[in-house]
Amino acid sequence: MSYAIETVNLTHYYSKGTVQQVAAINDVNLQIEKGELVGIIGHTGSGKSTLISHFNGLLKPDSGKVLVDGEDIWKNKETLRQSRFKVGLCFQYPEYQLFEETVYKDIAFGPKNMKLSEAEIKERVLRAAEFTGVKPEHLGKSPFDLSGGEKRRAAIAGVMSMEPQVLIFDEPAAGLDPKGRKDLVELIKNYRKQTGSTVIIVSHSMEDIAGMADRIIVMNNSTVAMQGSVDEVYSRGDELRSMGLNVPEITEIFAKLRAKGINVPANVYTVEQGENILRTLLKGGAAV
Amino acid sequence: MIRDITIGQYYPGKSVLHRLDPRMKLILTFGLIVVIFLCKSFFSLGLIALTAVFAAIISRVPAKMILKSLKPIVIILLFTAVLNIIYTEGGTVYFEKWGIAITEKGINTAIFTMIRIVSLVVISSLLTYTTTPTMLTDAIERLLSPLKIFKIKVHTLAMMMTLALRFIPTLIEEIDRIMNAQKARGADLESGGLVQRAKALVPIFIPLMVSAFRRAYELAFAMTCRCYTGGEGRTRMKQMKLKFRDFAALFFLVAVTAGVIFLNIKFEAVI
Repeated sequence: MSYAIETVNLTHYYSKGTVQQVAAINDVNLQIEKGELVGIIGHTGSGKSTLISHFNGLLKPDSGKVLVDGEDIWKNKETLRQSRFKVGLCFQYPEYQLFEETVYKDIAFGPKNMKLSEAEIKERVLRAAEFTGVKPEHLGKSPFDLSGGEKRRAAIAGVMSMEPQVLIFDEPAAGLDPKGRKDLVELIKNYRKQTGSTVIIVSHSMEDIAGMADRIIVMNNSTVAMQGSVDEVYSRGDELRSMGLNVPEITEIFAKLRAKGINVPANVYTVEQGENILRTLLKGGAAV
Repeated sequence: MIRDITIGQYYPGKSVLHRLDPRMKLILTFGLIVVIFLCKSFFSLGLIALTAVFAAIISRVPAKMILKSLKPIVIILLFTAVLNIIYTEGGTVYFEKWGIAITEKGINTAIFTMIRIVSLVVISSLLTYTTTPTMLTDAIERLLSPLKIFKIKVHTLAMMMTLALRFIPTLIEEIDRIMNAQKARGADLESGGLVQRAKALVPIFIPLMVSAFRRAYELAFAMTCRCYTGGEGRTRMKQMKLKFRDFAALFFLVAVTAGVIFLNIKFEAVI
């Protein structure tokens, strides 16, 4: 079976052909399995955004290949067009892309570009709106009349309505309050559970990633520095710190507890997990 | 594509031209542009061309940068040259067919206008290469300040210009971002007829306007928070003072002007 997305020796330069030429991503080889939820982490400028912009052909590789569903997306015009619909990319602050007169029309923009039938478009818009929690009475309103959080949901619905096989979020929770953050994480988890599609999340928030991802890819210096399960990656805290990253705060607290001789596990990545362990510990039970 | 525009591009340096008072540079540039249009013979125009080359050399701006500023006008140059050759008549006829005549005068005029346009662009781009946009608007504000008598808000105009220049790169970045977001939703910006392409710009243009207004409001707030109230009673950190070199430059302009007038009288006019 082919991978959802595969990159082969993918390299991209910025300011190519000038003295300032730098490799934004250098010789990246990745395989993303179908149905997987992958988190990509890395400090600012590590090449994360450049990498994901290759997945739907917004950027053309200077060398190497991007395969979506086993097919080179740069083979011809049609494969490139299809890659845009197979791989949905939801950028940081997606609410800044809203433009239509009504929320409904804006969510329908993607499916319309796919040249689907009116009935199919309607079905998809309503489905995406329900999924993202866009209220039905908002569909007829102007997107510019919504609140910040509502705009974000409408914009995410605009990408989801294309029903891509792979959905990529770049910093989906940026600028949201804690509740908005939590809701969004739930939304993404639910989406994946119900549709079974592949999801890739780029984030700075180690907690958010830890709570969702099956696998984590760490980008550093334009290449993949580490990849593996949440346990595997977060157990290498010192290496992460040397790349300007960190482990989740709760993991660090538990590491300090262990250092004080308290018998708690090291693989705690979410606050809920930590809360449960501490509760049983306080009741006198064994933590591990 | 948009990045090729060199207007307002500053080339950092410490040459005499860089250190010249920006007000004087503005006066010099405008003076020279007027003088370019005074030229009537190849000799007076040659003097201007030499002046432009001389200025380019002492500015220490690489020749490559100066040629880059000429790139956008290549088409205009060719167009005017062809028109001049076809429509100007007089002197020896070199070629005549299909109602088109190529004459000595036509070729002369074409060459003359081409040199004129190139000098014009070189001189004005030297101004922006050697002066930062902030210095330039500052200079414009000072030079226009007498207009205050007519209740024209010179300071506001200059501030608007500074801000507009400052936001060009920001908006270009914004356009890039919005274009990518809409392309990711399958927007087709590259194919189709004229009407279709114009329509395809709507999803780019509207978010751009929205964000431009949002930025403008934010900036206005930030400026108000830092007690900005306009030009009234505002003092400056960097005072501009005319130095010897500025007067020397002014003298240079006068000398060039006199030279041009002299050569105009002495030699036969081309146009």
